[in-house]
Amino acid sequence: MILLVVGLALVLLAGASAVVWRRQPRLAAGAYVILVLTGAALAMVPTVRVLTGTGVPPLTIPTHVPGGAWTLALDPLGAWFLLLVLGVGVVAAAYGTWYLASERESGSVPQALLGFALLLIALALVVTARAALLFLAAWELMALTCYFLVVFDDRRAEVRRAGMVYLLATHAGTLLLFVVFGLWGRDAPDLTFGSLQAVGETLGPARSVLFALALLAFGLKAGFVPLHFWLPEAHATAPSHVSAIMSGVVIKFGIYGILRVMTLLGTPPAWWAWLVLALGAASGVIGVLWALAQHDLKRLLAYHSVENVGIILLGVGAGALGLVYHVPALAVLGFLGAVLHTLNHGLFKSLLFLGAGSVLRATGIRGMEQLGGLARRMPLTWVAFLVGSAAIVGLPPLNGFVSEWVVFQAFFAAGVSNSPAGLGVFGAAALGLIGGLALACFAKVCGTVFLGVPRTPAARAAVECPIGAWGPMAVLVLACGLIGVMPVFVIRPAVQVAGLVAGMAPTAAAELAEPVRHGATLISAMAGLIVGLVGVVVVLRMWALQRAGSAAAETWSCGYPATTARMQYTASSFAAPLISLFGWLAGVTVRRSAHAFATHPTNLVLERMLVPVWRGIVRAGDVIRPVPRGRLQLYLLFVVATVSLLLVYLAASGGGR
Amino acid sequence: MTATAWLALGVAFAVAPALPGLAARTRSWLTGRRGAPVLQLYSDLAKLWRKSAVYSATTTWAFRLGGVVLFVTTVLAALLLPFDGRGALIRFAGDFVAFAGLLALGRFALILAAMDTGSSFEGMGASRDATLGSLVEPALFLCFAALAIASGELSLASMLGTTPARLWGPAGPALAMVAVSLFLLALAEAGRVPVDDPTTHLELTMIHEVMVLDHSGPDLALIQYAGALRLALFGTLLAGVTVPLATLPPALAVAAWLVALGGVAVGVGVIEAVMARLRLARVPQFLVAAATLPAFAVILLLSAAA
Repeated sequence: MILLVVGLALVLLAGASAVVWRRQPRLAAGAYVILVLTGAALAMVPTVRVLTGTGVPPLTIPTHVPGGAWTLALDPLGAWFLLLVLGVGVVAAAYGTWYLASERESGSVPQALLGFALLLIALALVVTARAALLFLAAWELMALTCYFLVVFDDRRAEVRRAGMVYLLATHAGTLLLFVVFGLWGRDAPDLTFGSLQAVGETLGPARSVLFALALLAFGLKAGFVPLHFWLPEAHATAPSHVSAIMSGVVIKFGIYGILRVMTLLGTPPAWWAWLVLALGAASGVIGVLWALAQHDLKRLLAYHSVENVGIILLGVGAGALGLVYHVPALAVLGFLGAVLHTLNHGLFKSLLFLGAGSVLRATGIRGMEQLGGLARRMPLTWVAFLVGSAAIVGLPPLNGFVSEWVVFQAFFAAGVSNSPAGLGVFGAAALGLIGGLALACFAKVCGTVFLGVPRTPAARAAVECPIGAWGPMAVLVLACGLIGVMPVFVIRPAVQVAGLVAGMAPTAAAELAEPVRHGATLISAMAGLIVGLVGVVVVLRMWALQRAGSAAAETWSCGYPATTARMQYTASSFAAPLISLFGWLAGVTVRRSAHAFATHPTNLVLERMLVPVWRGIVRAGDVIRPVPRGRLQLYLLFVVATVSLLLVYLAASGGGR
Repeated sequence: MTATAWLALGVAFAVAPALPGLAARTRSWLTGRRGAPVLQLYSDLAKLWRKSAVYSATTTWAFRLGGVVLFVTTVLAALLLPFDGRGALIRFAGDFVAFAGLLALGRFALILAAMDTGSSFEGMGASRDATLGSLVEPALFLCFAALAIASGELSLASMLGTTPARLWGPAGPALAMVAVSLFLLALAEAGRVPVDDPTTHLELTMIHEVMVLDHSGPDLALIQYAGALRLALFGTLLAGVTVPLATLPPALAVAAWLVALGGVAVGVGVIEAVMARLRLARVPQFLVAAATLPAFAVILLLSAAA
């Protein structure tokens, strides 16, 4: 645990060095990367120890704040998320120093680097905190640093708006968390997680209220439908390395919160499981449909985070079904799929966002309809982006396939369980649909951004980014590939995490997950076969072509000689069949004329629901607004009156603790 | 893993190109024409493999890799199927996900190859293929779900080995629905009428054929072989559901599987003779129907178990 604290201190030092050496940006960037890397490596030691089955002793900070002692501890669940934070954090930090180097005119770079370091520390504290107040403090630090990172380029109105929407959403979530812990703590001696867990099972119907509130609060962070409204805006407008860590890591903390609360509250009643499953299915399908409708590269990726949080929730829901109906294998498989997908999505989504960042840097364009042909101009970025795309679609031999495979198995385990959980097998249909739609969506992205011919001069002029950009991406490509080819190494620790969430002994969980371990070895064999056979056939094909020869020509266009870049299929057209098929869900307006076809997506929840409601509230506020305007005395009077009323209430109700 | 299974795998690779020929011959015979020889595709493949290729100057390695990946994934998907109803080369719990994943990888590669040409026609085909593929996937998983529940097994080989024996039992209606759905999916995946017409000559109405307009020589050979093998794979799934292969002696099982495969090809030919291709806007309905059938099957099986 000391190593973790020292590691975090080094990360803090990294942030400080960026500010101290703000006049020597190159020196600051170098020191920053080295310090973050060293800090993360130190913090990785206890993380790996916990995940390999050796515990680390907790660390208690002597404080006199109410709500019990502040303890930092690391269990497999926390360590799993910490692994994600450290891994993606280092890569995104390294990429960030390159990315921000040319953004000096947009905002304060040292401040952004410091904010990023603080974000990493906050994330590490969230997963290690074992007391509600410490947890809330870390949570708030995480939310605020994210806000400042999102509004880096605050000269642009859209950035300020996205930041404000994000801030409102995250604070609504934090407020709800205060309510959750406040209600929960009424029956507990203090607010440490141990005490909360001790009373968790005994709460009766209040347990369900707590769960519903926690789901809402953490859902606002995780961004599942319909609580995702802030996500696409914030993730699309933030600097790309910040988008990477927000999409890859920070939203997973909503999942962390949900899993943690589930372990603290004990065996769930049936409706929690079905609710989570339904939210997962809705979020997955609707998320990917909305992604299909986007033509802004980063916003499209952000909607895919909504989809993937849906997939994770499908796993969580399946696991909860296993707990509800006492099907231990289902519980382990469901949670295993969820935690694996959490890690995998963190890796490939940050890879994709970094790739999008490189495209943005090379062309200055986020709109897919203005890109094209980048595969020739940015070959390394293209390979990295392609690997990320294949992984997010869930194709073998990459990591996304492994976790979707486990979630599918959970649904099938539900189907054959001979229990009411059987209906959960329809989750497999939802997951299949999500996979198919994601394939269509990434075919569209790769096809319009990287393949074909450039649609604008800016895209034609693009050149490959330097090693500072593709180096970090190569690390993520390697991670995605390794997990896909040798999944056993991550499945073993992930089973521990799943067992912990399912409330099982590690050995029992490992036994139940044995078929997955066995299957994983065969998936490795299959991955080897894919790579090997592709190699063999490529050689055979080259041999055949060498004998027969090949010629270069124009693309066939039915004999029409004067083809132009504008004749290519556009992103709008590519997605059109699916958009019209799911029209009413997709929230898309279609503009069609004799010579143009374009589709324009809307953020349904934000634009059609929240903004009108907000306007209504503001209008209602107009009624009382004239009274207190600007009078300090009146404000003080209000505060005093409120406090006295609360005191009277406390006295009347017999006093609080 | 028995010797017959190895043999059957080899036979599957060998006979696959005969299936489209058989379907075409059936169609010709029913419509009163003579038609091409059943073994036409073999000579086509041999010829294409020896021919030189023409590449558009727009294309990159993504185009050249498309056909290879499609071919390899289809071949590997075959390793997961039990041709004689007993064992498959690769078999593990949840291997049906790998089956679907391999087919999806092949589709992804071919779509990217099509998009690499920068042609509006091939983009159109790619878009249509992606649309239909996303609807095939849930239907396929619902079929697997019904089979898993009916058999209580979680690998393709065990599912297909044990279900047909129960076809005539209480699970009969459910499995019949799965069989019909698998046939519809076979038509969609192999790009046959009523989803797609392999013999059409108008680019605007094509799906699969328009995606490979720019492919030639060995690349086209790989793609055409993969298409034939894909029909054989779905035919094998269908045979596995309907024919109790596992109860027959191994040699007879292989023979029965071959007959069933031929039956599927003839069925495809009959469909092509008696009906026209659906309008593109209607194809999704066709696929939704293919998904609804196994969904009902799952409900039937679950309610029977409860």
